[in-house]
Amino acid sequence: MFLKQLDLTTALRPSYLPDEDLLFVQDNVGLYEGKFKLPNQQNGQVYLTSHRICYVESTDPRKYSVALDLKDVERYEFSARFLKSSPKITLVPKATKRSSLQPRASGLLTGNGTSSLGQTTNTAIRVPPVEPAPASSATWICTICTFPNPVPSNFDPSTANAHTPLPPCLACGIKPTLAHVLKAAISNATSRQQGGPTLQTPLPIRPRPPSDLGAAQFASPPTSRSTSSPKTPDPDASFQCPRCTFLNHPSLLSCEICGAPLISHDLPAELMQQGRSQTDSPGPFLNSPLSTVSSAADTIESVKLSFRGGGEKIFYERLKGSMTQRKWLLQGAPPIPKASRSDATSDGSGPGSVAGNGASERVKIGGIAGLEHRGQAMRKNNEMVIGSAFEDLEALMASAKEIVALAEQFARQGGGGESALLAESASSQLGLITTKDIVGGNSDSLYLSELARNVAEFLTDDRRGVLKRAGGIMSLVDLWAVFNRARGGVELVSPTDFEKAARLWEKLSLPVRLRTFKSGAMVVQSKDRTDETTIKALLEWLKDLHEFPPENEVAWDWREFGRGVTARDVAERFGWSIGVAEEELEMAEERGVLCREEGIEGLKFWENFIDTGEGKTRPNPAKELEDSLIKALSDSGFL
Amino acid sequence: MQSQTTTTTTPPPFQFPREYSFPPFFTRQHNLTTHHAQLTKWASLVLSYCRHHRLYKLTLSDSSASQFPLFYNAKINRRLGISDIREVVEFLRRDGRAEWVGGSDSNNKEDGGEGGDVVWIYWRTPEEWAAVIEGWVESTAQRGSVLTLYELREGDGARGAEFHGIEPELLQKALGVLVKRGKAQIFGNEDSQGVKFF
Repeated sequence: MFLKQLDLTTALRPSYLPDEDLLFVQDNVGLYEGKFKLPNQQNGQVYLTSHRICYVESTDPRKYSVALDLKDVERYEFSARFLKSSPKITLVPKATKRSSLQPRASGLLTGNGTSSLGQTTNTAIRVPPVEPAPASSATWICTICTFPNPVPSNFDPSTANAHTPLPPCLACGIKPTLAHVLKAAISNATSRQQGGPTLQTPLPIRPRPPSDLGAAQFASPPTSRSTSSPKTPDPDASFQCPRCTFLNHPSLLSCEICGAPLISHDLPAELMQQGRSQTDSPGPFLNSPLSTVSSAADTIESVKLSFRGGGEKIFYERLKGSMTQRKWLLQGAPPIPKASRSDATSDGSGPGSVAGNGASERVKIGGIAGLEHRGQAMRKNNEMVIGSAFEDLEALMASAKEIVALAEQFARQGGGGESALLAESASSQLGLITTKDIVGGNSDSLYLSELARNVAEFLTDDRRGVLKRAGGIMSLVDLWAVFNRARGGVELVSPTDFEKAARLWEKLSLPVRLRTFKSGAMVVQSKDRTDETTIKALLEWLKDLHEFPPENEVAWDWREFGRGVTARDVAERFGWSIGVAEEELEMAEERGVLCREEGIEGLKFWENFIDTGEGKTRPNPAKELEDSLIKALSDSGFL
Repeated sequence: MQSQTTTTTTPPPFQFPREYSFPPFFTRQHNLTTHHAQLTKWASLVLSYCRHHRLYKLTLSDSSASQFPLFYNAKINRRLGISDIREVVEFLRRDGRAEWVGGSDSNNKEDGGEGGDVVWIYWRTPEEWAAVIEGWVESTAQRGSVLTLYELREGDGARGAEFHGIEPELLQKALGVLVKRGKAQIFGNEDSQGVKFF
């Protein structure tokens, strides 16, 4: 199954795998399987991480949230907004039979691609995984001389980046831009799949081709349809070249003018129809999954993300980035090689063999010289890692794990407790990553709701136990300070944003809530702790004091009244801060459960024995008089 | 204060209510409901205490003194503050159960009045006293006869009656009520006033 069940945290966010980084969040996204809308997954948030794409449904998140692993994604395509159709990103899964082979093969090839140099060589070697098309089929047209050049056979659109070597134009020798070739390759892949007689993937899933091919088809649908239909053979009908729009003879397989391959028109009519109807915006819902299964036979469905609230461009960019980086390969990656890596990256052999070579090459030097030698080698290695990491930012992202490991090592070498703390906060910071730039959308609301979830997670995280240590309740200011400290001093949250996010907890039905006391002090507590439970706990404690004699001799009957408690006693007893205890006591007083006693020992709170209810039933003589008057008047008929 | 109780036999000790030994009872409560309950309880305590000891007036500055047990519980060492006592009195006044001595209406602040020191505690209001006197006159068949005020207060004939030993001023007020109703007439000069019941 391409789409997998997703585990959610208490704050209804995806629970991340170790080393998984959140890259982007976008709300108001719908899911399609093939060309059908998934009925229960039409409004949710999409989390792009370094490993997965997670979809969290907004109405019933526990039931309908799904995730798909990026490593299972064969190809991803972008289709822009078209009339009423929202912009979409299509994710085509790897074929099941290849899925067992693919990760291993690519892992071997790109596993050591930690430096940008290594990556480019690897991608050059890399064979396109699926549908090894003939090289001649894909062409890019030079923007200078309009000569159609073949796209190199080893060019893989899903892995190509700025470092992929591109051959210059055969006619004029001008190098094309990457985007240009990419576009040509994608458009070619699209047209090939449409035209190919053997269909590996279901047709309806394919998006509208972004190139001029699609535009040409849409410009003249009647012509192409009439020619493509085998039932109405028309000898005079011409076949329009998708590239140069020259009307070719229908029997020709490639364009007479530009040599572009022509779409074979002996396709079944219904397939063409399907291909045409794919861009219909209000797509049909997927009612029974059987319908796609039967039509797609032994193929796997693709998944479309429909971005109704925008943000698709950034999502696409970041998806491209994470597909290029392949962070999931890092999970099983070997640690930083100990020996010099310069030859390792140049000859492209695996790190394991490098380590072996290094071991055999190493001259056996003992004593201090050996230690020095080792230290020197280590420094050189560190230099290498840092140097290659800062070569460019993408490479830095790829080697983030090593850099973090190095930073921790440096911190340990520093030895001080403070630096250890810093390292801890640096690593914990990786878990708290809701920042303004990873969140899409044009308003602040998504950022705030993400922040709210983030804080809620932070609070309910049992490992940290922030809330538990504070006795289940802490002031918002304290939380703000702790939270920002945990972020390690970067991407700090402003107090305004923090308060706004805290106010969202209730709306998002998160397990924590914000409470404002009478005095205006705001505190954070878990949702199950209401005023009633607090009062109950207070009363239970006060009732206990009837049983246990107080430490000092008291003048009143403690068996009957118990004793008064100060805010300090309460704070001690329940583990609250004194401010919180004061507020809670005053809340209970406000409810009439407690009463106060101001004495030389300070303000004490007691069980309320003053208002025991008889005051309310005490007859009011004025009212009685009034009642009797009214009664007399009504009896005598005046009223 | 004590002199007013000398005429009666030494009363049995007053039974204080439960709240009297509850320390927070002596602190002004902030919660409105609780505060109201507190005032109500204090008011009934003051009334019943005064009734028990046959006190008709309270001098606030005296009553907050340590030896006066109504507002000071020596056992638990708690005292009701003077401002809180005034609040209780004000509560009683609104209920028609107290009146500042020197002004029947509270806007007369010249001699006493509101904020003054001495206050009537009406555990029986003048109207109620009037009814009691009228009932006594009725039951002793003295309608139409003339009695001096002293006779009513201290006379042997009135011994055992509820109003025995009543404050002269309060008696005047009660008889005033009867006069207004046309049930009695007061005559004579200051020292030897007489009253005739109809």
